[in-house]
Amino acid sequence: MLRTVGVALVAGLTFAAPALAADAPAEIKIGTLYASSGRYASISMPVHYGLKLWVEQKNAEGGVYVKAFDKKIPIKLVAYDDQSNTATAATLYNQLITQDKVDLLVADSGSVLTAPAVAIARDHKMFLFDQTGTGASFFSKDNPYIALMADPVSTIWPKPVADFVSHDGPGLGIKKVAILYATNEFTGTQANAFRKFVKESGAPIEIVYDQGVPTETTNYTVIINNIANTNPDAVIHFGYAPNDIAFLRNVQDVGANFKMLFSIYAGLETELLEKNVGEKGLEHVFTYVPPQELKYSVNFGMNMDEYKAAWDKKYPDGKVEFGFNSVAGYTTALVIEKTLSVATSLDQLELRKATFSLSNQLQTLDGTFALDEMGGQIGELTPLGQLELGDHGHLKFISIYPHETATGKPVYPRP
Amino acid sequence: MLTYALVAGVLFGLYFSLVGMGLNLVFGVMRIVNLAHGDVLMLGAFVALGVVALAGIDPLFAVPLAFMVFLLVGMLLYWVLVPRLQGSANPEMLSIILFFGLSQVVEAITTIFAGTSERSIQSRLLGTVFSTIKVQLFGGKPETGPIRILGQGFPAPWVIAAGTSLVAIGLVYVYLYRTRLGTLTRAVMSRRDEALASGIDVDRVSAAAFGIGLGLAAVAGVFAPFMFGSITPAFGADATVTSFAIVVLGSLGNPLGTALGGVVYGVCYMLVQTYLSSWADLLPYVLLILILLLRPSGLLGRRVRVA
Repeated sequence: MLRTVGVALVAGLTFAAPALAADAPAEIKIGTLYASSGRYASISMPVHYGLKLWVEQKNAEGGVYVKAFDKKIPIKLVAYDDQSNTATAATLYNQLITQDKVDLLVADSGSVLTAPAVAIARDHKMFLFDQTGTGASFFSKDNPYIALMADPVSTIWPKPVADFVSHDGPGLGIKKVAILYATNEFTGTQANAFRKFVKESGAPIEIVYDQGVPTETTNYTVIINNIANTNPDAVIHFGYAPNDIAFLRNVQDVGANFKMLFSIYAGLETELLEKNVGEKGLEHVFTYVPPQELKYSVNFGMNMDEYKAAWDKKYPDGKVEFGFNSVAGYTTALVIEKTLSVATSLDQLELRKATFSLSNQLQTLDGTFALDEMGGQIGELTPLGQLELGDHGHLKFISIYPHETATGKPVYPRP
Repeated sequence: MLTYALVAGVLFGLYFSLVGMGLNLVFGVMRIVNLAHGDVLMLGAFVALGVVALAGIDPLFAVPLAFMVFLLVGMLLYWVLVPRLQGSANPEMLSIILFFGLSQVVEAITTIFAGTSERSIQSRLLGTVFSTIKVQLFGGKPETGPIRILGQGFPAPWVIAAGTSLVAIGLVYVYLYRTRLGTLTRAVMSRRDEALASGIDVDRVSAAAFGIGLGLAAVAGVFAPFMFGSITPAFGADATVTSFAIVVLGSLGNPLGTALGGVVYGVCYMLVQTYLSSWADLLPYVLLILILLLRPSGLLGRRVRVA
């Protein structure tokens, strides 16, 4: 009897092993979009290049380990160009799911181009690896098909700025604040969150200007004059990189000297902003301190220095800047790699379960990966910092708030 | 706030007159819609970027360079494309398709060579030639910073761009109304077939107008990095739409009507930005719809008939 069972087991294992290997796909298809042109190209291409770098690196090693098949499988990146157009993006997301039948779906960069993917992924029951789409409306308790990989969700991202203004601001003399934002999911949500945090703090802060402008706005001269007429002690500008470039240039051009000036991309894409605005235009600007400056210790993937070296080797022409978004693309890739290494199948809800199991466990060059119950990223926080000119005329970050991570005192008012 | 918006609107609008004028000249003479107009602007901006990067001189020197280069390119392009278009059954419709394709090709090639990132030129570099001359003549230090008009500060590049536009508008006026070629151009604009029948070398006149149209667009492009914060190879599409709105507003087919269209657009834009900022980007389309409903021939429409 025992012998019969033993023979059956051996036979079963003998046939089962090749059967498992035979079921394994020849490649894992990861579908994504990028914008090679248009308004979002400058935030999309670095993210895409970060993802591509990882794919090539892994394929050179024979593929990525997939636990569901207990073997390394090469990756095929199926990527289409949406040209920063949301209608094109919607068509292409559908194509990735229904025609290309990708195993994993990765959104384009930024909330505007992620927005079409959220509903489409949900309708097709595909788990969406949301790279940098931080809009609050993407995340809800009834949508299990999304998780944010590489940026804090916009509802908590501006908390350090709001806390600084509310807690330290009155002591510095900040009593009147102006808020200017581009009307899209990303920056609109940040403006709402900032406003809410400030109001709920009960601090003696008056919001004297609070206006949205179209995301496509390219000149702010009149708006800056209107803001200046309200005599604010701090101007908080939430916009995409092209908005920040135009805004900060116009501030210089009209000779406005706001006592405190905050912009998102001065910190996130400093290299790009420096090329367009110049060091003097960025001096004393408050911004988010990106992970490149914080250099987190990692338990998975390359650390910041190794990644920068790999980036420079892969993309030596400098046409796409190394910055926050290039880190975000690689961070997404690391989460995907780790997810595949723990997921027991490629079922979309199993992928979700695997991704959520990484929360608070995975430490990448972007900080601690942590998700809330709806898939919003609550780790990878960026402190508030200020850009200062160093001894050799180069910009450097001074971390200002929270105080635990501060490396210096704020320069206020801006000289 | 109102005064500031009005002055800014006039400066901004004068620049937009220059942006739209080339498009209107080409349409007026050839009745073709150049959908690659914005891409010529973008290339003009890259000429300015090149002048600064390679020679390190005032981007104003890019103005004559860009004009001459695109005058020649335009004339060459005319001989390659336009006579075949004019010979077709529906040149206006075909021109839309042809120049849309050209626009895509220009954008794609520029992206390959220049990448997708925003590019710009420091504002202080524009007009350094003037401050240098002033310092040499009168001494003192070179002045940078805003220019004061009615006691309020406006970006110096805006004033320089508006001044250049005025000069360009004046030169186009002189060309159209004070030169023989201009008279012939107006004759072609008025009735192409009659001009042909009366022995005018329509192709030569049209080639000149096409070249000048592209040259004007390229000159407008030199100032684009200063007026729009930064530019990318994809900048052209938006510029074409705005140009088209301005041209229709002034009067399709009347280049000097574009000057008025640009100023009206600029003032309206700044007023909307001041009082209803979220709606500012709808303005070109709203103006386009309004003018087509209320005065389809444009603000200076009547002049088209007597040009």
